[in-house]
Amino acid sequence: MALRSAQGDGPISSRWDGGAEKADFNNKKKKKVAEIYQALNSDPIDVAALRRMAISEGGLLTDEIRRKVWPRLLNVNTSDPPPLLGKDLRQMSKDYQQVLLDVRRSLRRFPPGMPDEQREGLQEELIDIILLVLERNPQLHYYQGYHDIVVTFLLVVGEKLTTSLVEKLSTHHLRDFMEPTMDNTRHILNYLMPIIDQVNPELHDFMQSAEVGTIFALSWLITWFGHVLSDFRHVVRLYDFFLACHPLMPIYFAAVIVLYREQEVLDCDCDMASVHHLLSQIPQDLPYETLISRAGDLFVQFPPSELAREAAAQQEATRTAASTFKDFELVSAQQRPDMVLRQRFRELLRPEERTKDVLTKPRTNRFVKLAVMGLTVALGAAALAVVKSALEWAPKFQLQLFP
Amino acid sequence: MAQPILGHGSLQPASAAGLASLELDSSLDQYVQICIFKIIVIGNSKVGKTCLTFRFCGGTFPDKTEATIGVDFREKTVEIEGEKIKVQVWDTAGQERFRKSMVEHYYRNVHAVVFVYDVTKMTSFTNLKMWIQECNGHAVPPLVPKVLVGNKCDLREQIQVPSNLALKFADAHNMLLFETSAKDPKESQNVESIFMCLACRLKAQKSLLYRDADRQQGKVQKLEFPREANSKTSCPC
Repeated sequence: MALRSAQGDGPISSRWDGGAEKADFNNKKKKKVAEIYQALNSDPIDVAALRRMAISEGGLLTDEIRRKVWPRLLNVNTSDPPPLLGKDLRQMSKDYQQVLLDVRRSLRRFPPGMPDEQREGLQEELIDIILLVLERNPQLHYYQGYHDIVVTFLLVVGEKLTTSLVEKLSTHHLRDFMEPTMDNTRHILNYLMPIIDQVNPELHDFMQSAEVGTIFALSWLITWFGHVLSDFRHVVRLYDFFLACHPLMPIYFAAVIVLYREQEVLDCDCDMASVHHLLSQIPQDLPYETLISRAGDLFVQFPPSELAREAAAQQEATRTAASTFKDFELVSAQQRPDMVLRQRFRELLRPEERTKDVLTKPRTNRFVKLAVMGLTVALGAAALAVVKSALEWAPKFQLQLFP
Repeated sequence: MAQPILGHGSLQPASAAGLASLELDSSLDQYVQICIFKIIVIGNSKVGKTCLTFRFCGGTFPDKTEATIGVDFREKTVEIEGEKIKVQVWDTAGQERFRKSMVEHYYRNVHAVVFVYDVTKMTSFTNLKMWIQECNGHAVPPLVPKVLVGNKCDLREQIQVPSNLALKFADAHNMLLFETSAKDPKESQNVESIFMCLACRLKAQKSLLYRDADRQQGKVQKLEFPREANSKTSCPC
């Protein structure tokens, strides 16, 4: 059974992108806006509810709401003054030349009707923000594509907030992409084929024999699709989703896109060039809400811990941002930070639990539409899965912590 | 500088490459109908790799190219002396961090390498040494033909890399040198001839056939006739 054949089943047909009545759409939207504001106005702010809203159909709906909610999802205090720009940043920065080259030619990221002058002003702000975040975090390394992420924030929340949000994002979700080398990024890409294998072994085997590799998904992953989607509304919708989820969610979403295009892939010549070419040209009319829902389902069904072995088999496991997502979750839930270490230590004492062999999976299509859990629950469940198993998937990390 | 500059003595290694593997599978006779020829394009950021490959594969100069992330793929079917050849061009990211772990997959089984520098940027030229090391490090056989392309020669006022310097370098590394501009429409013929020249060289040595010899037999079925020949050019070399 292909993923695509599940389309239109059950609740999907009544969803917003499924051609529901406009009045119904407006009612749903109104209701959701009210729920979001209720979560924002409760004391303390109901971050869990905001995460659910960001994932569920339509995401955060408007940029006005995003300006309020994105900082909450990243646990950034908006009343703190933004970091100030050092004067000589452009002269001092080793990354300045590369950032300049990339930002100056990133014209397509800006709304088509925007006057040149305004766009150029934003590009200068973009350069300054990137250099500032890099300067304040010398452990982070600039990569081509980082500017695609920062520009998304700049266009939605404005210069003042972008620095704080991007700084937090860079030290958490994006951290692996900003290591001195791309080794961790490659490790995350190594999750792609195991996810596909779980759902559609035939497609997986076809892609393996084509030797297509995973680089077609590299720009998707490290720009959160900002580099490849031309409609900005789709980009911010995905950012809602990814900001609310585990750092590995973008690779699940990448897998879902490949699975969705199963038939096109299988119709392709079985060689690297043909398959790479097909997959790297991302269709602009993807059913985003459906795919987001599926990515959430897949994450719950095949959490990173279950795939870690296969991913690691492709390359040695190293410490990645996903391993600290738990810290992030707990901190944003205002728990004691040392709880993380305590819990880690407890889990470390039970290593036998990690020995479950996931390699003996049946060779059938295992995707199940989680009608009950569904999209809105995916977040809660995903967060639970993370808290339970984030350690398992990066065993080396534990050794580093407790030598 | 409108004309390609041909370094002397640089043709030698190309013709020798075909001799490297002579075990020809008889089932490969069908490959003669349409050869696949895989080229990788490398060089510093913003030297114009994407524009060059666009110019060759699409015929036009794209006015809004962005940074290439990872590896992009373009192809074009050409005809040389009545034979159809599919030229696959792999356009790579220029930033250093992508080279090591990301691009290596695409060096496998390449038939030729195009090194690009920007004639208005000396650093892009001095970095070529490192790109050559990089290429050798990815187990590209030394006999695989390599060409050197100095791009942006329409910016005459800003030229930093003199032709004789580049020619010397090309000679020392057994490469053909071209100076061209992906932007200048008058130069588009030259851009084409860079790739055509490589295609001719490879057609002559037929090494592309042998390099595909270790591929699965199941792939023979994919030797469909090309839909159309985009270009009919006689061998420029």
